[in-house]
Amino acid sequence: MVVGNIILRLRGSLEFKCQLDSTDVPHVQKVISRTFEALGSQVKAESLVLSLSSSPVFLWPNKGGHATAGEISPNRPCKDLQQLIQTDDQESSRKKSAKKDKNNPTAGIINLTLMTEVTEPGVLSAPTLLRGSKKHHLLQTTLPMDCVVSVLSSESISVVCGTLVGALCSQLGDMEKVALRHMKGTALLIPQPFHFLLPAPVGLVTVVYPAGVPDSQLETQRKELHSLFELPDDRPYLRRANALHFPDEPYKDGYLRNPHVHLNHPALENGKPYLVQGVYSYHHYMQDRVDDNGWGCAYRSLQTICSWFQQQGYVERAVPSHKEIQQALVEVGDKQGSFLGSRQWIGSIEVAAVLDQLLGVTSKIMFVSQGSELASKGRELANHFLSEGTPIMIGGGVLAHTILGVAWSETTGQIRYLILDPHYTGAEDLQVITDKGWCGWKGPEFWDQNAYYNLCLPQRPKTI
Amino acid sequence: MGRGYIVEDVVEKYLSNLSVPGASCVTGLLIGQSSSQRDFVVLAVRTPQKDTEGQGSPSVSRGAGNSLERLDVEWVTEHARQVSRMLPGGMSVIGVFLVTPPELSKEAQNTLRRLIFAVDKHISKGRLWSLTEEDVTEKVTLHICSKTRKVVCRTYDVRDPKSSAKPADWKYQSGVCTSWPLLTCSVGLNLVFPVLEMHVLPQDMEKCMKEGLQTWAKQIEDGLCLINGDAMPGEVELLGGQVKRSKFQSRSIHFYVVYITSGHLSPQAEPQSERRLTASVKVCSGSLTLKGMVQCRAYLHSNKPRAKHATEVIKRDVINTVSSRVEMFLEDLLMEGEDKGTVFVLYFSLGVR
Repeated sequence: MVVGNIILRLRGSLEFKCQLDSTDVPHVQKVISRTFEALGSQVKAESLVLSLSSSPVFLWPNKGGHATAGEISPNRPCKDLQQLIQTDDQESSRKKSAKKDKNNPTAGIINLTLMTEVTEPGVLSAPTLLRGSKKHHLLQTTLPMDCVVSVLSSESISVVCGTLVGALCSQLGDMEKVALRHMKGTALLIPQPFHFLLPAPVGLVTVVYPAGVPDSQLETQRKELHSLFELPDDRPYLRRANALHFPDEPYKDGYLRNPHVHLNHPALENGKPYLVQGVYSYHHYMQDRVDDNGWGCAYRSLQTICSWFQQQGYVERAVPSHKEIQQALVEVGDKQGSFLGSRQWIGSIEVAAVLDQLLGVTSKIMFVSQGSELASKGRELANHFLSEGTPIMIGGGVLAHTILGVAWSETTGQIRYLILDPHYTGAEDLQVITDKGWCGWKGPEFWDQNAYYNLCLPQRPKTI
Repeated sequence: MGRGYIVEDVVEKYLSNLSVPGASCVTGLLIGQSSSQRDFVVLAVRTPQKDTEGQGSPSVSRGAGNSLERLDVEWVTEHARQVSRMLPGGMSVIGVFLVTPPELSKEAQNTLRRLIFAVDKHISKGRLWSLTEEDVTEKVTLHICSKTRKVVCRTYDVRDPKSSAKPADWKYQSGVCTSWPLLTCSVGLNLVFPVLEMHVLPQDMEKCMKEGLQTWAKQIEDGLCLINGDAMPGEVELLGGQVKRSKFQSRSIHFYVVYITSGHLSPQAEPQSERRLTASVKVCSGSLTLKGMVQCRAYLHSNKPRAKHATEVIKRDVINTVSSRVEMFLEDLLMEGEDKGTVFVLYFSLGVR
C-alpha cells in the first residue's frame, strides 16, 4: 500500500430495470447494453449524492464536489473528510491496536454510500401517466455497486469525487461485460464486485464475477486476469475467498483470524521469522458447543488447517466437524466403525489422511525420534513457510499443537516456534489469547525432549 | 386532564354564522394539526348538502322523525376523504362537529362518536405510510347547540374501538397559524409499474399500481430529508434561535432517497448473503409509467417543532400527493373501461397543486 494514500470505498444499489420486447439474443443484448448506458448517465448526473458514513456530510460529486457541511469546501484535501467521521470506539486503546493498524493497510478507510437526490428544482412538469400495452419481459434487479479507490490524502475533494464517479462508470462497464458473457435467455446473473489486494506493484483491484457461478467454472476468467496482472499461475489470488477483508466488517462466524499478527516477533541475531501466509481461523477446545477438552486437540489443529485452505480459496467446503473428521477416517479405512462418536485421539497421519480425503490436499510427514531434534529443523521449517506457507500440525508426547511459523538464525542456530495452542478453553478474547501465550512464541524447551514427534506439513495444490 | 385545542378565531366566526334552519342538524369537519403537547384547529367546513332530487338531504330534516337517524354517514366520510386530499401537508381532518337543536343534544354524543370513527377509518384507507408511536390518535368531536350556542368538546382515541369520551379544552385565539413554518419540496417521479400478463382489467391495474407505489412509499419513508441542505439530527428544534420572528417563514428542503430494494439500510450489509442470483423476470402485458414532478408543501405548528417532525410531515405529504394523483388517474381509467388490447397510450395531465 502506498503511504500517504487514503482509501475510499463507495457502496450502494443501482436499480436495473429493462423491458425486453423479444427474447432473441441480439435484441436482449442491445437492451441490456442500453440499460447499462442509461445507468452510466445516471451516475454522471447532478442528482448523484454520496453520503459520508457516520457523518452528516453529503457530497454532490457531479456538482464539483459541493457538500452540505459548511466546513468542507471542494478544494479541501480529502483527508479532512476523516475528521468529520464520528467513530464510536475512540477508546479502543488496546496496546495492540497501533500494531494492528500498521499491519493492516486498509485501516483508515473512508466509507461512502451512493444515494440519489429526488428533488428536482426548476422546470415544473405535472405528473402524467403513460400506459403501454406491448407484451414484454420485465427484467429487474439491483446492482450491488462497490468501488474502492486509493488517492493521495492531499488530493482535493472535487478531484476525488471525479475519481469515484469514474470508478462507478468503469464498474458498470465491467458489470455489463459479465452480464452479457453469462446471460442465458432472459436469465441475467447478477454481477458482483470483489476486491483483492494483490502483491506489489499491482495493489488493490476489483473484479466482477457473476453470482451463482462457482469458482471452479470461472477458471478462464481468472487465467486472463493472472496473465494481465502477471501473477504466478500456481496459486490462487482471485478466488472469491481471497477477497480482501475490510477491517470494519467483522467476521460473522465469531472465530478469531490470525491472532499471531498482534505479537511482537523475537529478535534473533542474524535471524528472521518465517510465518504462515494468508488467513486462518483459530480453532480450539470447547468451540461449536463440542466439549472435546482432553481429547480433541489434534482435531482442532486440523480444523485450523482446513480453515486456511478454505480462506485461501482452495476449497469451498466448510471446516469439518469432529463427526465429519471421524467419518472421513472410517471411509478411508483408517478406523473402524466404532471410532465414530468416540473420544479417541488422532495423530499427524490421520490429519494427513483427512486432508486428503475431504480437501484433496496432500501432506508431507516429518518425523523426529526425539523432541530435542526439533531444534535442528529450523531450515526445513523455514523453507516450508516460504514455499507452502500452510500451518503445520505437530503431534507427540500426549499433545497436539499447530505451528504457525519459525524464527531461525542460520548463523547461531537459535530457534523459536510460533505456536497456536488448541488446548485453550476460553472465549474468543484476543487479549487473553495473546497475553497468556495461547498464541505465542516458544523456545525449543517447549517440546518434550524425549518424546517422538510427527509433523504434518500440508502442501498447496498447484491451481489458481 | 384532557387535551387542549387552540382554535383560530375564524372558526368561531364560521361556526356561529352557520345557518341551521329549524330543527335540522349540520355536520362538518375540523381541520388542523395535532402534536403531543398541543392541538390546533385552523379551519372548519360543513358537509355540503347532497343533491336533493328525490333523496332526503342529510342536513335538512323533512318532517317527522329524527334527522340524526337519517344522517348519511357515508356522505360525511366521503366529503372528509375529498377534503383530506386537498389539504397541504401537516394539515388533516382532526375532528368533526355537529350542530343540533337542544332536544337532540343527548343523542348527539353517540352520533359524534359514530362519525369520528367512520371518518377516520375512511380517510386512513389506502394510506401508504404507517403511523408511529408518536402520532396522536385522539380526534376531537364538537357538539354545538343551535339554540344556546353552547359548545361541548370531547375526544376519542380512534385506535381503540372501545374508547370512551374524554373531556377536552376548546379555546379560541387569534393568529394561531400565522407564524407556522412552511416546508416545500418538489419531487421528481419516474416510476414504472409492470402490468402482469393476467392483469388487463382496470381494477387489476389499480392493484399493480398500488403495489408498486407501496415499494416507492417505503423508499420515501426510509429516505433522508435535508432541511435547507442540512442534515439536522431529529431532536434539533427547527426554529431554534428564530422564534422571535413572527413573519411567515419559508424553508425549502432537499430530499434524498436511498435506493435499496433489499431493505438493507446500512452499507455493512453483506453483499453476497441472501440475495437473488439472477434478475427477476416478469412476463408483462403492459406497463404504467408515472413521470413528472409533484410540488409538496407542509405546514408545521410553531410550538417548538423538531427537525424530525418536519421530516415526517413533508415525507407524508410527498407520499399523499403522489398517492392521490394516482387515485385520480385510476378513477379516470376505470371510467374509460377495459383496454381493447392494442397499443394504447393515454396522457393524463393535472394541474399542479
